[in-house]
Amino acid sequence: MKLEDLFKKLEDTAQKLENGEQSLEDSFSLYHDGMSMIKACRDKIDTVEKKMQILDEEGGSHEF
Amino acid sequence: MFRQDYMLRRLYVKGEVSNCKYHTSGHIYFSLKDESGTLSCVMFAGKRGGLAFSMKDGQQVTVLGTIDVYGRDGKYELYAEQILQEGSGLLYEKFLKTKAELAERGMFAQEYKKPVPSYCFRIGVVTAPTGAAVHDIQSISARRNPYVQLILCPVLVQGAGAAESISAGIRRMAQQNVDVIIVGRGGGSIEDLWAFNEETVAQAIFESPVPVISAVGHETDTTIADYTADLRAPTPSAAAELAVFDYREFQDALSSFMHRYQYDMKNALLAGRERAGRYEKRLMSLSPESQLRMKQQYLDRLEDDLRRNMEDRVSLSIRSLTETAGRMHGMILERIRSAEYRYGMIAEKYSGISPLRRLRQGFVYTELDSGKALKSIHQVKKQDELMIHVTDGTVTAEVTAVEEVIYDGKEE
Repeated sequence: MKLEDLFKKLEDTAQKLENGEQSLEDSFSLYHDGMSMIKACRDKIDTVEKKMQILDEEGGSHEF
Repeated sequence: MFRQDYMLRRLYVKGEVSNCKYHTSGHIYFSLKDESGTLSCVMFAGKRGGLAFSMKDGQQVTVLGTIDVYGRDGKYELYAEQILQEGSGLLYEKFLKTKAELAERGMFAQEYKKPVPSYCFRIGVVTAPTGAAVHDIQSISARRNPYVQLILCPVLVQGAGAAESISAGIRRMAQQNVDVIIVGRGGGSIEDLWAFNEETVAQAIFESPVPVISAVGHETDTTIADYTADLRAPTPSAAAELAVFDYREFQDALSSFMHRYQYDMKNALLAGRERAGRYEKRLMSLSPESQLRMKQQYLDRLEDDLRRNMEDRVSLSIRSLTETAGRMHGMILERIRSAEYRYGMIAEKYSGISPLRRLRQGFVYTELDSGKALKSIHQVKKQDELMIHVTDGTVTAEVTAVEEVIYDGKEE
């Protein structure tokens, strides 16, 4: 899932959790969904610092 | 009068810009002057499309507009529709022509604009490998999010062949699996920026399957590329701000979601616990054990009540008994006192004949051995013992003689 969609789902899930109409069991599963979505969001980012790549004439690329 | 005059309604005035003010309302106030005089000019915010460069004092310009009299001062004013910089007049005409044509073809239409993703991981940059633009984009990107991959397609941004180089760069970049493409260059004159007004660049931008952000020159420079792009950034730096999501903000957003979830869950748990507690209380109150305890308590209370009532009764009875006894005691005392009083009265009355009184006057009371009072000589003979009572004691005497005396028949 894309980050945009994940964030939207995070918001929806939080609102469901907040409206107070859920059973305790549903709240638990919403909570777990939310937490695993947060983790999924974090996992989306490959935290390796990137150097700018430059495309060369031959169609390849190298570091700028 | 002026407004009806066709000549005055569409007038070109040439001169040098002075007193140029960009008002916050968006209107531009300036004067045009030449050797012969000065003319006040206004370009209203709504007409700003007719100005494609940043106007400054000292520039030679040609203004197309309408002459009218400004009511308050009765001065002539020129209401500018278009302002052309001298020397670039031809280019500007060309710009307007291309713009009109492309607009006609729908290349600027909002419906063709692709949204720029909020989270781009691979960002294509089509610009010169040297110069301010690439440097600005790189540093802002690194500051906001060092984990985003920038890919540069170096292109010629000015001079001969620039337009072809830029459009080829865009097409090439579109195949690099990037999320967005930034196309642009730093500031310069209208001639320097010209390649971005060429139709071929606009075409490449329009056809790109990847969203394109244009970033040409400064805030005030608007090129055909800007009109065509999916998103126009005023400068290359601004383009980087738009394309590169801020990693800290991203983390903060996730953390705030996490806190929100934890808080909500805690509340849900508390509510659940409270609900369970209520049920527990109700259940417990229904258990035989608690029923028994309740009955027991009731019984204890009854017993207590009973005991207390008994004690109250007893103490009440004791009190009333005591009261009765007290009252009776008082009555008896009263009787005694009145009897004593009456006795006193009688005693007083009889005190005159009291034997004790007689004794005090020297009379004695004489007692025989037998305990009888001595009243006659015939009761005694010589040597009999007699007890003689006086007021302060008793004298024992022996009869030594008995002699009869005859009184003249009368007792005292």
